[in-house]
Amino acid sequence: MTLPGREAYKDELTALAAGDPRIVCLEADLGGPSHPFAERHPDRFCNLGIAEAAAVDIAVGLASAGLRPFLSTFAAFGTWRAAESVKLGLGYQGAPVVLVCPYGGVSGGWFGPTHHSLEDLAVVQSLPGVRIAVPCGEAETRAVIRAAAGEDRPCYVRLARNEPYEAPFEPAGRGEAGWVRGTGGPTCLVSVGEKPAQLCVAATERRPDLSHAHLCWVDFESLAQAAAELAESARRLVVVEEHRAAGSVASTLALLLPGHEVLSVNAGTSWPSEGGGHDDTLASLGLTVPAVLAAADLGVPETVTIGLAARGAPRPATASGTPHATTAGTGTGTPGATHAPTTHSQGAT
Amino acid sequence: MNEIDLARERAQRARASVVDMAASPAGCHLGGSLSVLDILVAAYTVAESRPGVEVVLSKGHAAAALYAVLHQTGSIEEDPAPRYGRAGEPYTGHPSPKVPGVRFPTGSLGHGLAYAAGWALSRRLLGEPGGAIAVVGDGEMQEGLVWETLQIVQAKRIGGLTVVVDVNGGQNDGYVADISPMTDLPARLAAFGFDVIEADGHDIEKLAAVLVPEDRPKAVLAATVKGKGVPATEGKASSHYVKISPARAKQWKAVLR
Repeated sequence: MTLPGREAYKDELTALAAGDPRIVCLEADLGGPSHPFAERHPDRFCNLGIAEAAAVDIAVGLASAGLRPFLSTFAAFGTWRAAESVKLGLGYQGAPVVLVCPYGGVSGGWFGPTHHSLEDLAVVQSLPGVRIAVPCGEAETRAVIRAAAGEDRPCYVRLARNEPYEAPFEPAGRGEAGWVRGTGGPTCLVSVGEKPAQLCVAATERRPDLSHAHLCWVDFESLAQAAAELAESARRLVVVEEHRAAGSVASTLALLLPGHEVLSVNAGTSWPSEGGGHDDTLASLGLTVPAVLAAADLGVPETVTIGLAARGAPRPATASGTPHATTAGTGTGTPGATHAPTTHSQGAT
Repeated sequence: MNEIDLARERAQRARASVVDMAASPAGCHLGGSLSVLDILVAAYTVAESRPGVEVVLSKGHAAAALYAVLHQTGSIEEDPAPRYGRAGEPYTGHPSPKVPGVRFPTGSLGHGLAYAAGWALSRRLLGEPGGAIAVVGDGEMQEGLVWETLQIVQAKRIGGLTVVVDVNGGQNDGYVADISPMTDLPARLAAFGFDVIEADGHDIEKLAAVLVPEDRPKAVLAATVKGKGVPATEGKASSHYVKISPARAKQWKAVLR
């Protein structure tokens, strides 16, 4: 049975700790009442309670003494509630703390915007030296945890909620593009995260001429290494990610590849505050297969204009999944606007 | 010379050095540096003779005092005063790990206490001796992060931690009592499971005796005088940040007490 990322993390860390006495597992009341690490290594497990900023600082103190703390809480809290602690500890000090955050993106679904995290990568991406991984599926999550434990580097790991994902591709290492489908055509879909990977797999089934590369490590340094491989593969990159445009992987790739068209299918600007599961919430944001296909075809300017409807604007069409609506994510602040102005017109809105 | 006499001499020399830093082009947080200086001297006296004891100046704006004391204890070889605040030198207005003897960057208030708690917890996890002495300001106690950390220390029974509060009654915009009073601080800290000791924050001998980290978390409320040692600044909230001329520094050093 495939484990969801959260469970794969706990299981892998518990196994690693058996051979590495430096590993300490910290929780902030969101690890669940039964934790395999606590059962196997009770002396090195500590649920610090609901105090994320202090938890990060305490982890930094432990790391300073030579320990290797892994701290887990939801992405919204780990990156925003504790933002200054992350900046000073993982960023400025470069403390080898691994921050493992489920509930990335809108995987919290009906939990609402307080528990969504469409801005976490922007926060961490702004901190030089902090590695960022967005693993897909059990094997890649395990690989990320092993890599993080094996190096003296600060690291942010974004996970989803409880849904398992059978990744139809091999885990991608740091600086690598994980190739799901290579066609040699002019357009390559680049997925970040589990749901975007699924969208891109579905999109390439409809459009076999599109390539699909999957990225796991998405901090600036890692992307700088992977960028050359992506650049060689296609002229146009369509980055699909569960994140807002600001601080997105697309924006980083656009900076790294000024000679390429880098388009973005992202989460747009709305604050989805209705019920429903992960997929429903993604659909309400316009992160759908038609949106990916529309972006691959460079969209149509007027659809982008519609998609640019600001927060609070009606979005019934978005939920329907029509190409117009699904371009919403594409249009909102796509970095492609900078590098391929002829393809998007959001600047005129 | 015994340990305490040496510490008192160090404090006197460090005080003069802090006044010199106030005469730098940048000026310095003079009042809080002079109030906390004897606490720092006592804390490093404790740490020098006990392996694994880390001193963390959480009220990092008192960096001038920290640099002066680290110079006296030998961690900083060169005299930091002529270099304070200057381009190309590590002696910034808030301390960083670039300064010899400084493990954590502090100054954004509240974090130093939490780092110290982590260090103290590391002693237990590693089975190594030592602990931490966190030096915080009474104004700093207004930070939520302080209370998050105290809660964790109590809940997880993190021993080996001494929290010493420099109770100088001042903060950036005036007096703590006027801005956000720390009412019943001894009772509050006791309610968080700390053994609470009230002490004269300028009695180095007493401080050196009570700051030693022990199995139970300990809070030392050290009553201090902002601007201590310079008659013109003692007890004045306006001494929080001071920039003076070299001539004024010479006058102040001549009447140090």
